[in-house]
Amino acid sequence: MSSVTANLPVLVVIAPLFVAFILTTFARRIRLVEGLVIFIGILGFVGAGFLAANVFIKKTPMIYQVGGWPAPWGIELKAGNVSAFFLLVAAFVSVPVSLFSVNNLSDEVGGKERVTRFYVLYLLLCGAMAGMAVTNDLFNVFVLVEVATLSCCGLVSSRNRPRAAEAAFSYLIMATLGSTLILGGIGFIYIITGHLNMGFAHEGINKIWQSNPHVVWMAFSFILVGFGVKSALFPLHVWLPDAHSAAPSPASAILSGVAVKGYLICLLKILYNVFGCTLMREFVIHRILVLAGTVAIIAGSILALMQIELKRRLAFSTVAQVGYIIMGIGLMNTKGLSGTLFYLASHAVIKSVLFLSAGAMIAASGKKNINELAGIGRKMPITMAAFTIGSLGLTGIPLFSGFIGKWNLIVGSLELGNVIPAVVIVVGSVLCAAYLFPVIRVAYFEPVPEEDWKDPRLTQKIALISLALAVLILGIIPGPFLELAERAAVELLALK
Amino acid sequence: MKDFILKRISAVILPFICIYGFYVILHGHISPGGSFAGGIIVGLSLIAFATVYGMKKARAELPEKALVSIESYGTLWYVIMGLVGIFKGVPFLANKLAGVNVGEQGTLFSGGLILLISAGVGIRVASTIVTLFFALVEDES
Amino acid sequence: MSILIEKLIINYPYFFAVILLVIGALTVLTRSSLFKKLFGISIMESAVFIMFIAAGNIRGGTEPILNGHNTGAVYINPLPSALMLTGIVVSVSVNAFALALIMRLYKTYGTTDANRIAELRKEVADR
Repeated sequence: MSSVTANLPVLVVIAPLFVAFILTTFARRIRLVEGLVIFIGILGFVGAGFLAANVFIKKTPMIYQVGGWPAPWGIELKAGNVSAFFLLVAAFVSVPVSLFSVNNLSDEVGGKERVTRFYVLYLLLCGAMAGMAVTNDLFNVFVLVEVATLSCCGLVSSRNRPRAAEAAFSYLIMATLGSTLILGGIGFIYIITGHLNMGFAHEGINKIWQSNPHVVWMAFSFILVGFGVKSALFPLHVWLPDAHSAAPSPASAILSGVAVKGYLICLLKILYNVFGCTLMREFVIHRILVLAGTVAIIAGSILALMQIELKRRLAFSTVAQVGYIIMGIGLMNTKGLSGTLFYLASHAVIKSVLFLSAGAMIAASGKKNINELAGIGRKMPITMAAFTIGSLGLTGIPLFSGFIGKWNLIVGSLELGNVIPAVVIVVGSVLCAAYLFPVIRVAYFEPVPEEDWKDPRLTQKIALISLALAVLILGIIPGPFLELAERAAVELLALK
Repeated sequence: MKDFILKRISAVILPFICIYGFYVILHGHISPGGSFAGGIIVGLSLIAFATVYGMKKARAELPEKALVSIESYGTLWYVIMGLVGIFKGVPFLANKLAGVNVGEQGTLFSGGLILLISAGVGIRVASTIVTLFFALVEDES
Repeated sequence: MSILIEKLIINYPYFFAVILLVIGALTVLTRSSLFKKLFGISIMESAVFIMFIAAGNIRGGTEPILNGHNTGAVYINPLPSALMLTGIVVSVSVNAFALALIMRLYKTYGTTDANRIAELRKEVADR
């Protein structure tokens, strides 16, 4: 047993990849494929939970040396609090999403034989997310980012519509532009420090940044813009609405919920574990992040208000929520960082439940505009209840998970003596209510149509209910989860 | 294509190109090159076969199913080689630590598992290149 | 001024990389042909590869292979080259995937021009 525990950081990455490549063998037997995907999802969740418990109790990060080679020469995996936190989130969200896609995909991806391909990409994405959580090596970050990007594009283009191919192409071009910039940034760090391991690169860059300020500037800007493109930070978000609204619903859920967060976690790790707080202060990166975040919140919310398609509105809402997380990364205090991590987790859960329930409604009714969905709440009570819980959570009503994250963010920004982020968060919440509550109003308080719209199948109901419950549980008893986020914040700030 | 000379000459040359590709794959750990470069050479020889003898014949020799399974099992092979370390109680992808005989430096059978890994990866790269070629060339449907 | 030019000449691979990066980025952002966008991406990636490989190079160094003849020689750093091999693999897969998508779009719309595709899509949506 102990050998399994010691190898957990690598096993959580390997297991989805392993299953992904087995799947093609059973391409014709979709039942078996779906069973395997759900099984590995649950196994991954158990593994992530075990890892998180291990880190939580022992209070030291688990360090894993691939191949037995020690750090500056070999590749190192490090499962600290941040990694355990994100691993838990990604593994949790991926289970209901795969449960939702059971027996549901062949229409959307166009034919039964393509379903297996969807799952292969899905598992590759899960593996890449787990890898992003645990990696401690800069070049691995690039490789995993690329694996995640390619599988995201594959997931988007798996929908059998020309629009999906178009969205996937523009996503691919923008994302590759981003990853090229990320690689360039990593290159600059490597050139001046000679290390790819995050810890050693941190030491190196702190020793010599004064003699090479321009290179550090270049590294900062390349990495910020690169990850900004990847995670759809406001002016660089143009690919996201098309891609996320054109993808099949389970894919939109995982893309908006988890994939974007993976890039944000990588950005967080590079900023805090490689550059460190001193350099961020010295180069005023934290101000830039806060500014970009506030702009993204307001602009994303207003853009979301202007959309009439439900999935597009949710996609633009992701742009706004990324703003909160980027802003929190720039606050640089314990409250702010723990708030941003908690918000990241709660948004992962909430956006998944929103996209899944929207997908169920669109699949049942065949309508994709919001005002065409009048009265759907009476016909599909469970789906709409899940949607309502999700939107309340995203708005930040107390007792729902979004509230705790936003509260911590506000406290964090007030601790800095900076009122503007706090005001923007409140305004953003109001705007969020303004673009999500009309959906609820239309769904519940409009006359009920004569159509035969029904709640989805049992597995999909289970998926929606478990995600909605997670929103409530995270909001009412955040307990150990919030503490994990706080410890992660302390861990990030500990490096000078 | 009905070019007699092209067909004869490629029939003579292609096996050697293929063997050279395998040579590069297998000597990846002691000389420049390796699984990717060698795999590309093998894949290109197969692509040359397809262009000279026509897509139909190439498809008959290299069915899609076989290519897809080589691709996925090639990657699986890598993971299994990595897991050897874990089963021996040492880290993932461990080589000498896992008690594998790494042999004498500079000979073909040195480097332990690396030879096996690069063989798997090389075949995988070859089949990927061929699959890409087929996917981009056959565009009916 | 002469120092600047001297620096540029000494560090010509980096200079080259910057030029390529700018050319690539401009191509991606300004051209509407899907193929040209893809070429732009490839050029940008090559620029970064050149930068990395130039960083690993040591002038007068030999290839880092232990063969008994070159003991004591200065070896170049093999790590960036190895990393860039991975990068090239990634870029090949991106290219292949993008080409497949372009083919799919061409089958649907009959053109590979992004603006034309946007117009056609609008027409379809209006109908």
